[in-house]
Amino acid sequence: MQALRLIFEFFKVSTQAEMAHRANFFIRFLNAILNLATGVLSLTVIFNQVESIKGWDMPSAMALLGVYLLLAALRGLFIGPSLESVAGMDGEIWQGTFDFTLLRPVDKQFLVSFRHWRVLMLFDLCLALGVLGYAIHLMQAELTLLAVMGFIITLIAGAALLYAALLAFSALVFWNSGFLFTWIINDLFQLARYPVELYPGWLRLVLTWIIPVGLMTTIPAQALSGKLSWQWMILTLLFTIGALIGASWLFRQGLKKYTSASS
Amino acid sequence: MNHQGGWELIKNTWQSWLQHRGFFFLLAFGWMLPLLVYLMIWSAAASEGSLAGLSQDALAGYYLVLVLVNQLTYATTNWTVGDNIRMGQISRWLIQPMSPLYHALSSEIAGKVVFMLFSIPVTAFLALIFRPQFNLSWQQSLLFIPSILLAWALRFFWGYWLALLAFWATRADSLLALQDTMIFLLGGHLAPIRLLPNWMQSLAKILPFRYMSAFPVEILTGFLDKNESLTGLLIQLGWTSTAYLLYRLVWTRGVRHYEAVGG
Repeated sequence: MQALRLIFEFFKVSTQAEMAHRANFFIRFLNAILNLATGVLSLTVIFNQVESIKGWDMPSAMALLGVYLLLAALRGLFIGPSLESVAGMDGEIWQGTFDFTLLRPVDKQFLVSFRHWRVLMLFDLCLALGVLGYAIHLMQAELTLLAVMGFIITLIAGAALLYAALLAFSALVFWNSGFLFTWIINDLFQLARYPVELYPGWLRLVLTWIIPVGLMTTIPAQALSGKLSWQWMILTLLFTIGALIGASWLFRQGLKKYTSASS
Repeated sequence: MNHQGGWELIKNTWQSWLQHRGFFFLLAFGWMLPLLVYLMIWSAAASEGSLAGLSQDALAGYYLVLVLVNQLTYATTNWTVGDNIRMGQISRWLIQPMSPLYHALSSEIAGKVVFMLFSIPVTAFLALIFRPQFNLSWQQSLLFIPSILLAWALRFFWGYWLALLAFWATRADSLLALQDTMIFLLGGHLAPIRLLPNWMQSLAKILPFRYMSAFPVEILTGFLDKNESLTGLLIQLGWTSTAYLLYRLVWTRGVRHYEAVGG
């Protein structure tokens, strides 16, 4: 309960700060539209040349794009800015101001994950939902209740996996504070734009089990089109739980290593 | 005009940038990744034969050359021009006895040196995986040299005049993001121009964006015949002159308008 109240306060403060920069509204709006347009145009160009690639046609690839945009919007809404303010460029670890964060009487992982919100990303979130809706319309298949349930469950798992990956990469900053690990995972996340089956075999394995950006979007999109077997679903859920535990462990190990930046 | 001072500045900048190689390698990795994604997508699409006469090997050749050409022509500098104007850094440059253009040029050249240290070995390694293939003729190589120089100049001056709009508007950088999006869509990143739908192909051939990145690659990898190459070069020359004139215009007006804030 207290956690929810805190999240609400964080959200409120971040929103008030953001309201001060009104020109940003326009810029965010422009970025979101550009992002959407490039995504949809890319699929149009690709499926203008071929009917389907390795079993993925336009509607199912569009569903995957919707999942990707949704996860990207969630990342931009709070996970990204919160972790970035700690482990990113000019973040608290670089500056040494992380000391003050550590002194707060709240769980540290909770604090670094939920502190900063970018309310304008809600607009991106709506666009992503629009793409998903459009994809479902294109599929024209009767959506079974089972498929929708599977989609929602795997989508939550995908978001949790993304969070775990971002947390783990951010935690690496405790070992080498000069390197921007969060940038690497942000770059790699772009690979989630397309189904993992389209990549060469070795990369597919890496993107499924080592840096699971493939699982984040491919599995929910498959669930929506009813192509996901229950074995894969259970495997994904187990893997997600494992990744969350692992990332949290890594973060706590990192905290133990932390020494302030000031002399 | 003090050219020797300019040269010293160029040398200094690249030596100091080399000390931060990790950061620049990370940037280079981030630019490379989307191109590799589309290489793999198109390879998967062309796995049963070829697309519009392009085999997998030809696609690999196109995209790997594009990785290098894109980094050689990408003008990183333009992203900091706006900050330098807003923060008043530019005041110091204006009173130095050489053209402020040298400051932009020095970080341009420094950037190319550092990025190539990363990109050439990585591309060579990727060539072992993707097995690119294209026929290289003397004529293609000879035409490639002016086309890549013009591509760099066009991309640099086009971004520079956009960035200089920061003399009037604080968030002119978002125009640079728009330029990047246009290059992605129409500059041969999303797909080689000939795989685009017809309406996009015609746009690509008229607008300047193809001439900032894909055009030299098309020449080198033999996508174009002699006539197409020469017409292309003429259009490229036209756009480059336009970009340069726009830069002169915006610069002279901007400096007259400029007034530093603070002290």
